[in-house]
Order: sequence, then C-alpha cells, then structure tokens
Amino acid sequence: MKKNLRWKTILVVFIIALVVFLAYPPSDKIQLGLDLKGGMHLVLQVVTDDALNQETNQEILRLREQLKKKDIEYRTIVKGEEKIGRFTLLEFDSEKEGQIKELLDDYFKEWNHTIIGTSVSFSMKSDVDHYLRNLSVLQAMETIRNRVDELGLSEILIQRQGMTGERIIVELPGVEDPERVKGILKTTAFLEWKLVKAGPAPDQETLLQDFGGKVPEDMEILKGDPKRTEGGYYLVSNVAPITGKDLRNARRTTDEWNSPAISFTLTPEGGKRFYKFTSENIGKPLSIILDNRIQQVANIESRISDSGIIHGRFTVEEADDISLVLRAGALPATIKYLEERTIGPSLGADSIRKGLSSILIAVIIILAFMAFYYKLAGFNAIIALIFNVLILMGALAYFKASLTLPGIAGIILTIGMAVDANVLVFERIREELSHGKSISSSIASGFSRAFKTILDANVTTIIAAIFLFQFGTGPIKGFAVTLIIGITASMFTAVFVSRLIFDLSLSKRKKREKLSI
Amino acid sequence: MKYKFFAFALSGIIITVGIVNITTKKGLNYGIDFAGGTLIQIRFINPFPIADLRQSLSNIGLGNSKIQEVEKGQREFIIRTMLPEEDVDQELEAHVIMGNKVVETLKKDEDRLASEKGLKDLNNIEKNQLTYIFQTSFPDKAEELAEKIIDFRESAEQKGIIENLNQLTTELEISPEAIELLKEKTYLGSMSIKRRETVGPQVGHELRRKATQATIWALIGMLIYIGIRFKFAYGVAAILTLAHDVLITMGLFSLTNREINLPVIAAIMTIVGYSLNDTIVIFDRVRDNIKILRKLDFESILDTSINQTLSRTVITSGTTLLTVAALYFFGGEVINDFAFTMMIGVIIGTYSSIYQSCSILLFWKKIFNPKKGMGK
Repeated sequence: MKKNLRWKTILVVFIIALVVFLAYPPSDKIQLGLDLKGGMHLVLQVVTDDALNQETNQEILRLREQLKKKDIEYRTIVKGEEKIGRFTLLEFDSEKEGQIKELLDDYFKEWNHTIIGTSVSFSMKSDVDHYLRNLSVLQAMETIRNRVDELGLSEILIQRQGMTGERIIVELPGVEDPERVKGILKTTAFLEWKLVKAGPAPDQETLLQDFGGKVPEDMEILKGDPKRTEGGYYLVSNVAPITGKDLRNARRTTDEWNSPAISFTLTPEGGKRFYKFTSENIGKPLSIILDNRIQQVANIESRISDSGIIHGRFTVEEADDISLVLRAGALPATIKYLEERTIGPSLGADSIRKGLSSILIAVIIILAFMAFYYKLAGFNAIIALIFNVLILMGALAYFKASLTLPGIAGIILTIGMAVDANVLVFERIREELSHGKSISSSIASGFSRAFKTILDANVTTIIAAIFLFQFGTGPIKGFAVTLIIGITASMFTAVFVSRLIFDLSLSKRKKREKLSI
Repeated sequence: MKYKFFAFALSGIIITVGIVNITTKKGLNYGIDFAGGTLIQIRFINPFPIADLRQSLSNIGLGNSKIQEVEKGQREFIIRTMLPEEDVDQELEAHVIMGNKVVETLKKDEDRLASEKGLKDLNNIEKNQLTYIFQTSFPDKAEELAEKIIDFRESAEQKGIIENLNQLTTELEISPEAIELLKEKTYLGSMSIKRRETVGPQVGHELRRKATQATIWALIGMLIYIGIRFKFAYGVAAILTLAHDVLITMGLFSLTNREINLPVIAAIMTIVGYSLNDTIVIFDRVRDNIKILRKLDFESILDTSINQTLSRTVITSGTTLLTVAALYFFGGEVINDFAFTMMIGVIIGTYSSIYQSCSILLFWKKIFNPKKGMGK
C-alpha cells in the first residue's frame, strides 16, 4: 500500500512538473487567438468557375488551331453560356466527320463529346472538373501565402475550410492596414502583353467600324483602366505571347519623368519569346493588361529581351502593391470575401484583463465555498482544482491550441464544473459515513461508486463539445478545446489526485477518529 | 414528483409562449454571424450622446441599426447594421461599403478639416507611418518613440484612444520637442475603431444550418451513449429534457429580443452538455436504487434518487452559476451574451433535471411497457 502511494505521488508530481514546464512562462508558451491579440480573420472563396472558364477558352483556341491545321471548315464555335465547361462546334464540313472523330480521340480526351448531325458538343469530364477546381484552390492558397510572406507578416494561418472546400481561411495577427492587405490579397494579378489592333474608342460601335461591326475571331474587346489610360475601348489580339507567368521579378522604380513605375525582368525562356515577338512587331502598339484592364499602350520601338518598365500613372503605394502581387504570382481564379473580422489590439488587451479577473474571481468564490462547506476536504478539492487549471494550461501549450475569449469562458466553466466531480465524491463519502462505515472504507467506496457517475456525466458533455469543435470557427473552437481538455483533466484530478491526497493524509496517522468533510 | 404536473404545465406554457413568439411574431433576433451584416465597435474621445448617434445613422438611412453602449459614459458603442431583407443576396462588398458609410458619418468636422490639411490622425495611425513622422527629427529614436506611443494607445487602460497630448508627457515622458512635432504633423481624431466584423449573407445562412445540424448531431450522439450505458428509455427521457432546455432558452431569447450569435450557440450547446450532466447523475442513482430498493415502486425510487442527489445537484449548479455570474459581471462586453445564456441555461438545466427528467422517464415507461412493472 505504502509503496503504491509513493509511486502515485511521484507520478502526480511528475505530471505537474511537466505541465508547468510546458506552460511556463505563459506569455510565451500559450498562443493567443486573434480576438485576444488583435488581427484580421478573413474567409475567402475561390471562384473556381473562373479556372474552368479559362481552361475552356484555351481548349476552344486549341480546337480552332487544330481545325485550321487539318483544313476542316466549320461555321463557328460557341461557348456554353449557362453551364461552365461546355462548348459546341457548329456545322462542320460533313465530309470530314472521320477526321473530326480522329481529332477528338487524339486531342480532346479530357472532354466528353457527342456528335449530333454536323455539330459536336463538348463537356468537361467530371473528374477533370474536380481536378481543376481542386488545383485552383491549392494554387490560390500558395499565391496568397506568397503575398502574405512578401508583406512580411508573421504567425499567419492559411487554411482550407474542409478537405475539398473552395474556401480559404486567412488569419493575420497584428495587421496595421486592413484595407490595403485585403486589396493585395484580392487582386488576381493576371498580367498579359497583347498587340492592340484598334482603339481607344469611346464605344464599341466606333471601335468596330473598320471590322464590319463584328469582333474578328482572333481578337477581343478590352477596356482601358480609367486610372491609368484615357479609358475607352480597345480591340486587342486574343493571344498573349507573354504573361505574368514569364516574370522573374518586379520592383517599384522611377521612370525618366521621375514618377513611380514598375520594372520587370523576364525568365530566360520568356525573354527569348519576347525578343522574337518584339522583333516581328516593331512599330506596332502593344498593350500591357492587368486583370483584363489595359494599363498602358505603347508602340514597340525596339527589340526587348528580358527586362522593361511599366509606366502607368501609379502612386508610390500602387506601384509597390502591384509589383508585390506580380512577384508573388497570379491567382488562378478570382476570389471574393465572405467574412472579415478585424480586432484592434486594445480590445484584445481589454478582453484578456477582464477574462483573467473573471477567472480569478470565479476561483476565489469556489475556493471559499468549498473550504466552508467541506472543511478540510474542501482544501483537497482546491488542490485538485489548481492542478486542473495547470494541466489545462500545459495541454493548451502542448497542442499549440490558441486561447480565445470563448476559450477563457471555457476555462471558467471548467472551473465551475470540475468541482462537480469532487462534490459527487464527497457527497458519496458523507453518505457512506452516515451509514456508519469506517473512514477508509467510506473513502474507498465513495470514490469507486462516484467514478461511474462522473464518467457518464462528463462523457456526454465531451460529446457536445466535440460536435461544437467540428462545427465552430476560430473562437468557438477555442472554447470547445478548453472544455474538452478541462473536463478530461477534471476527471483525472478529482478521481486520482484527490484520492491520493486522502490516502496520504490517512496513512500518516494510524488511526483517525474523524474525517473533516 | 408530486409537483410533476405543475412543472409540466409551467414548462409547457413557457415553451408554447416561446414557440408562438418565434413563429408568429418577430422570430429570433439573429446577430450578424447568422444574418450577415456589419458590426463596428467604436470609441469616441468625448462622450457621444446615443440619441445623436442614432440621428446620424438615420441621416444615412441606417436608422434601424442596433446601438449598444459599452460601459457607462457614452464613449464606446457597438453598432450593428444589416442590409434590408431584399438585399440579402448582395455580396460582402455591399456590407463593407455600408460600414464605411457609418464610420464616415460619425467623424467630426474637425477630423475632416485636419485630414484635408494633410495631418495624420494619431488615434488611428499605424506604427510605420508614425515612425516615418519622427524619422527626420529623431532618426535614432523614431521607431522606439512610435512603438511607445502606439503601445500606450492600445493598452487596456487607454482602450485605443489618446485623449490629449499631455498624457504622452506625463505617462510616457515624451520630450517636448517630440510633442511639438506631433502637434505640427498630427491631430487627435475623435474616434477609434476597435473592432469591425463583416459577415456575408452566404456565410450567415450556412452557419445557421451548420449550428442546427451540430446541435441535432450532438443530441443524437448523447442519445446513443446513454442508450448504451443505461437503457433506451433513459436516453429518450434525457434527450427530451434537453430539447426542453433548448426550447425554453430559445423562447426566452425571442421574448427578450436578445441577439443570437455564435457564442450564444456555443453556450446553448454547453447547456445541453451541462444539463445532461445533472440528469445523468440522477439517472445513475435510479439505476443503482432499482437494484437496492426492489420493493418500492418506480415512482418512489425516482423520488428517492432525486432527493439523494439533490444536495450535489444544488451545490454543483451553485458553483457553476457563481462562476458564470463572475463572467457575466466582470467578463466584459464581448463575452456578455455568452455569459447571459449560460446563466439562464444553468438555472433551466438544473430545474429540468430535478423536475422534468424523471417525470418524462416515468411517463415513457408507463406508456410503453406498462405490464412489465417499473423495475427492470
């Protein structure tokens, strides 16, 4: 019996030492949630339809190329308006159906195609659809991470909501200028260089005068960015020889008129392509397009290989931010914000202070009550309670779970509920004593009979907390975590630690007449 | 047990009134977490009468915003705005723009004048910008000075606002030269935005669905656990008791027109766990007593069990209630709704465990296996 007690004591001391080691000093070891330290919580949605649309556009271009190569005539290709990832080839030359079939099997394996009369309708296979959507979310996360890194923020969290979700949670502590950060994260930053065929024109009709009022198949209409150009409409080639993917670097610089501009360098491969392209098109107007808005139009004066400057009436901040997003890469699809929460540091500091003082008050009230109602045994419960809070802190530090304001509420609630296990045991012991049992057997049967109750009662609360954890967002998760850890710890302290204290105090005196409970 | 009909009637009335209120009248008052909208917590440098605040908001067509005073003294408020019902399909941007309008309209003319002159608002400036201001005159200490001032402003005492520049002299011992520089380049804006949350309608609707689902799944999980550890009838009685608690709480929220937000849902789920805790302790006794007190009929066994566990139930509920009350009174504005819900919940949970759970169990047994006797 004695040896047994010694081992138990060592175990308890070891656990306490361990949790103190894990959690001390708490200001370093315990992570605070955004609601306590201040910062920004964003939920954004990747519009994956965009990625599918882009893919569809590219496939249409490819189909056109192939048909031209094989000399197959057709009326037109139309993209599905309502459903994403569909297009139809209309009225192809019926004599060449065999060739078309061959083409479809060889080059369009990722598409389901059905031939009806002289038309073919294409629809993207569902596994390809899933793959592209998933890929675009992963790429978006990567890009956002790059941008946040460029901003020099630390302790960031970028997380996908759910395994296959299209939503991304971004948590940025200590953000100083939320609007700027939001702008930077949201910019698609898709950069293209395209030849200008006509424009600018005040409206689309004037623009298309020379083209018989119709947009030629290899061109498209884009608007000029009103901040950087005169605005209006431009007709540009729909093939971009160089895009943002060919960029190696981009920086803010000042141009020859001393206004902010962006200098860029291209990858060696992109540089070669650009050199060839500019050589072939000297004298023609070239546009730089960012997210489908024309930023700048200039005539190609000489061959350009690997570096250049974008002028565009930028402010210093704009030039900084645009070069940042260009360096970090483009988003594969547009994103939109679904939720944004910004909490100032002063509110967090206030919450911490109020939270801590409520914990303190709660503890004092409970301690006073337990000591009053259960006398010496109450102190036993107090020790168990303090251990409980220590274990909770240690576990928080170990699991790197962040402490949130609801988390503090969870701690306070745990303190209230942890006493419950002690109360159950003590009430049982009192009952056993009143039945005239001896002290030690009262204690023994009190504990063993209460244990079953404690287990059943607490497991159900844990079940509720687990569902809460699974459903909740940041702060609520913090609450669920502290509740789960706290209740588990309370079972250990109430059943094991407080039993040990009883046993230790009994073993000191051979015979004890009265138990203070 | 002798009060069972009275208790049934009482709960029945409260639940009915609650449900009637929810379904026929204004329903539940969803906060921005569930309905979508913008919450702005603002602190003013001088007291801003709440009536004026409401007037300013009406002037921009947001008169239906909810304004809540934080602490006494009319200096800090939480403003919640929601878009009208027909606009719920709008994107988040609409809410953001609305929030900006709120902030803009509450600014004082002095703020606008000063910022037009190119001065920076010391109550909203970022550390980098402040460092930049100090850079030319105090190149060595610029960052240190800026950090000191910002940390002071954001401390729990200042709550995000510097009231006058003298504070910097007396509390931070900033040199007169630096103060002069601040006077020249900055002004003390009349307010500081401490918290701003915008939830798009899409997320709100989804959260509502998820919260309901989580509650239902938690109830099912508990039913299964109790079914395994006890008997099915106990599980049903426990779950009905919980449903009773949730319905009463929701009813009270509707009657008092208090807002339902995420922390409140967390509190309701905790109450579910907590109330069950009490119920199980009583059922556990019943389980034991059925074996010990074979001669008594089931109703007396229930009575005995309730009485035997009564002191424990009261003590535990009492301690929990005390801690939650500490949170309610000292925990601050942000956690207030949560603490309020927990307080009602603990009281209702205790009441229902004592007066409802066993009665439900009794009725269930009477209805479904009347012949077998009440024992096993």
